[in-house]
Amino acid sequence: MRRAPRATTAICLVAVAWLTSGCQRDYVRWDQPPPGTAVLQIDSATAASNAILEPGVLATVQAVPVKRWKGPGNQPFDVALRSATPEAGHSRVFGSITLPIALRSRAAALSQYPCTSCHQGRKVVMANQRISDAHNNIKPVHPDQTGAVCSTCHSADDVELLALKSGERATLDESYRLCAQCHFEQAEAWAGGGHGKRLDGWEGRRVVMACADCHDPHNPAVQTRIPFRAPQLERTGGYHP
Amino acid sequence: MSADRPVDLPEILDGTLLQKPVDRRDALGLLLGGVAASVAAVGACAPLNAATPEERELKLLEWEEFTQKHYRRMTEEERAETIARLERLAKLRHNEDCTIATTDAQPGVLFGYAFNVSKCKGYRRCVEACINENNLDRHQDTQYIRIFEMENGVVNLEEADPTYQHEVPAEGHFYLGTQCFQCANPPCVPVCPVGATWQEPDGIVVIDYNWCVGCRACMAACPYWARRFNWSAPEVPPEEVNPNQHYLGNRDRKKGCVEKCTFCIHRTRQGRLPACAEACPTGARVFGNLLDPNSEIRWVLAHKQVFRLKEELATEPRFWYFSD
Repeated sequence: MRRAPRATTAICLVAVAWLTSGCQRDYVRWDQPPPGTAVLQIDSATAASNAILEPGVLATVQAVPVKRWKGPGNQPFDVALRSATPEAGHSRVFGSITLPIALRSRAAALSQYPCTSCHQGRKVVMANQRISDAHNNIKPVHPDQTGAVCSTCHSADDVELLALKSGERATLDESYRLCAQCHFEQAEAWAGGGHGKRLDGWEGRRVVMACADCHDPHNPAVQTRIPFRAPQLERTGGYHP
Repeated sequence: MSADRPVDLPEILDGTLLQKPVDRRDALGLLLGGVAASVAAVGACAPLNAATPEERELKLLEWEEFTQKHYRRMTEEERAETIARLERLAKLRHNEDCTIATTDAQPGVLFGYAFNVSKCKGYRRCVEACINENNLDRHQDTQYIRIFEMENGVVNLEEADPTYQHEVPAEGHFYLGTQCFQCANPPCVPVCPVGATWQEPDGIVVIDYNWCVGCRACMAACPYWARRFNWSAPEVPPEEVNPNQHYLGNRDRKKGCVEKCTFCIHRTRQGRLPACAEACPTGARVFGNLLDPNSEIRWVLAHKQVFRLKEELATEPRFWYFSD
């Protein structure tokens, strides 16, 4: 009879610890979202005024805090709600990042660019959402869970634009705007400097690679490769950790 | 042979020789003897009967190189002379046309490095770039960077594999790269008996290869095995030599000296990224100025949970690991 209260207390403690640890593991940095939550977005005036800077670099874009993560109709965007609680979900922020970021132009990497060489006045996306024979090299594996079709990302009306969920459209160089709709954690790290690759040096203007420069948009996972040769131990006198 | 038994050391070893009074005649004799021996030594290796003008020049320059000052004690003129001599020596020895910089550290710059453990896929492109950039010895297969393959779940370098050779990334494994961490409290520096290694104002620990005597005390002191020894004169195929060099970085090393990663001092002091960071195909390497609050490295330190290796040794590495 004397053990019962102890057992109850222990169970309660364990339960509390379990619940608390789960919360902390997921949202330790986001329990108090700062006021004025922000999303990385092109300031079109800034982009226009800093038009082409040099070959290969399209434009310097300014990340400005403008709005919360909201979908069409000013409702919380459903993909952002994948994280545990609605509050934590759509209050994730980029913070007020004011670093100018220069991006590589995407056009050079596309083998069939410009698209208008074939798509003259035609709709981009076919009615049945099948991939045409001209693009039979594309084996889309992403996004696969959400029942996505071509027009999920591509603008149905304009061949060289991407369709955002907000109804806005983005150029092919602004793939980060499209990807950030779901991969907001990566986009946040990318905007700050913890994700992606910087190109032109550690000081001065920051030129980074955008999402589609590394990730094939239709198959974005990292592929396996054969690594560069291992060190030859017998020549260096062996290793110790 | 018990430990407490007194041992008779010769005078030269127990230090009493230097404390003995020496009269002027003996001192002069010793001095003149030393000078005579030096002259004889010069004569032995001197170029007086060398066959061609190039050989003659080479031997003269080698003698000058042997007697050159410590890098930090050189005046500007002496530095310029040294650089001209080293560039000429590279031409005579290896037929290389290199330029050796002596760029000093920029004020207000302190270099820091961050390594994304969850982004590294073990491709070793950084190792390849490092070898090419820093003119590392191909015969000995010197590599500054080691990439450890570890099973998911725990950072255990004791059981990590730095010599994996299979398609990567392997299922259930992650990769962690090490190199010189340019510690803020470098244990390798105070142990050098001749002061041939020191820390620059921008945090890079460097070596004067000409002053190094090859005792390898710094290698024993480094808890990260970051330094490499030249058991033989480094061999680099002439067509693969990187001509963009720095006195404290990737210039021609001699047999019997220690070398190490310098965060590519010849590149980073010109505002460029280290070769490893530039070569990394996954963006796992973040490099920047710790004193610049807008730099990427500062963003990583402020927003990610970072750790360093062997933090308990208080070496304060300027190389942090983080994950997504």
